[in-house]
Amino acid sequence: MTRSRKISLVALTAFLMLCATGTVSARAAPFGAPHPATAMSSSGLMGWIFAEQAAFYRSLSGFIRASKEDKVAMWALFGISFVYGIFHAIGPGHGKAVISSYLVANDETWRRGVALSFVSAGIQSIVAIIVVAIAAVLLGATAKAIGLAVRLVEVISYILVIMIGLRLLYVKSRGFLIACRELTWRRAPDLALASVSAGHASSTMAFQSIGQRPRAMAMRGGQCQVDGCIAHGFQCDGDHDHHASAWGHAHGPEPTDLAGDGGWQRGLAAVVAVGLRPCSGAIIVLIFALAQDLFWTGVGATLVMGLGTAISVAGIATFAVGARRAASRIAESRAGTGMLIVRAIEIGASTFIVAFGGLLLAGYLASEQLWMFTG
Amino acid sequence: MKPTYYLCAALSLWLFGSRAEAHPHVWVTFHSEVLYAADGAMTGVRHAWTFDDMFSAYALQGISHSKKGQYTREELASLAQTNVDSLKEYAYFTYARTEGKKLKFADPVDYWLEYKNGALTLHFTLPLKGAASAKAMQIEIYDPTIFVDFEFAKDKPVSLSGAPQCAVTYDLPHQPTAAEQARLSQFDIVPLDSSSTYGETFANKILVKCP
Repeated sequence: MTRSRKISLVALTAFLMLCATGTVSARAAPFGAPHPATAMSSSGLMGWIFAEQAAFYRSLSGFIRASKEDKVAMWALFGISFVYGIFHAIGPGHGKAVISSYLVANDETWRRGVALSFVSAGIQSIVAIIVVAIAAVLLGATAKAIGLAVRLVEVISYILVIMIGLRLLYVKSRGFLIACRELTWRRAPDLALASVSAGHASSTMAFQSIGQRPRAMAMRGGQCQVDGCIAHGFQCDGDHDHHASAWGHAHGPEPTDLAGDGGWQRGLAAVVAVGLRPCSGAIIVLIFALAQDLFWTGVGATLVMGLGTAISVAGIATFAVGARRAASRIAESRAGTGMLIVRAIEIGASTFIVAFGGLLLAGYLASEQLWMFTG
Repeated sequence: MKPTYYLCAALSLWLFGSRAEAHPHVWVTFHSEVLYAADGAMTGVRHAWTFDDMFSAYALQGISHSKKGQYTREELASLAQTNVDSLKEYAYFTYARTEGKKLKFADPVDYWLEYKNGALTLHFTLPLKGAASAKAMQIEIYDPTIFVDFEFAKDKPVSLSGAPQCAVTYDLPHQPTAAEQARLSQFDIVPLDSSSTYGETFANKILVKCP
């Protein structure tokens, strides 16, 4: 890795952190902050998206009313709902930040990123439908009760997000320490031996008796000692355990292994946590439809909206995966420290998930407060 | 270096998602009347906020009423109570200020809901904690989180009560000028501090000037 590349990687990490803190400070802005509605409408593309999605949302009520007598209007409603979903999800919420960070931290494939985005958006729609079906249709609850139910589901969702982030942080920190040890190993094998023995077993013993993983680690260390390259490390780990994951154990620095097969469960846990939180817009649309005796039309519109949302989230997830891949490629060209930087990015992404979940739970980022008037 | 550029572009795109503000899900068109006492001091603000049809339907969910499609003021009394109770946390989205000093509002009085043409209108009066007399008074109405989009009503959105000598005007949130836009793009690098007056540019603003 050239010097300039090294600098660019450091800059990138700094940029990531800046963006993360920027997000927080932007949201936590006190009342002295600019009137965001107009502030947004000023900034080019984002302003346009913002205005469009608002216009689409406002037109929904007319289409819902019209679809009572007119089947064509119903299809128009579904069309508008779909486009609204796409525009709407580009804004905050809908778990983009969490899903993207998760994909970055775990080095998932783009295929899985897209699939997880769709599952998350699907869950989000279904939760909204279930909440309204039970609370409004069956129980005839008031907006206040529905707001409380949504709040409860949200809190559960945020806590799950924090837990997933903490779990990732734990696993990735261990990955970072292992990467550190490998560097140390190369320089001072004795020292590395001592530190490895703390966690697992004495690495010489491990070489013969303990299972696959310590050996893989030791081999990697050995290899690096010989020719100091990570590319070789990949090869010698062909039979590396596949179930190891963010949910399992600390993993050696083979991102490709993580992305390979192995449980959908871990990814699912993340998207369920994210998707649990229903979209306020969907709930309002469903209840409006219900008030017009068109509950099923509302259900249809919500599902189509979710499809649009999924497309946006999947697009952003693909970018996150691409960014992560690019970072890995740069890092791979440099043995040792390169991997260390990749691990650091993973830790950063995990930390972001924890922070994001924490801020959501604390109410700093809660932007869609359905109970503002009816709490 | 190419991958780095790609990376930065991708990350910006991703993060721009999380950096954006909220989506409005409630639209309010409002009339506001600024109240003055006989001695020329401002005593409060009387609001009439009309919600959009979808949010009105949401708020009305589960409210019992005897006639389909009709709600009396009595049937809506408990909802009106809930509304004003909930709004306390958000400072009633009303920010009054005179000569750089913020004025405090007490709990609302005379509040009720009205249902007409599929839309709910919340009427309420916000009394000032202490009457304030000043030559210039400024009242802003907006939701900083923009879950609620406030908009002046088309017909006579602001009026004055009890101050014939004063004049009231209002400013719509306007499109930012080139200089403001430049400032806007620098928020990341130079965030706003609490003494900044930049935000005023973007609020629904009512101005009262007295001789």
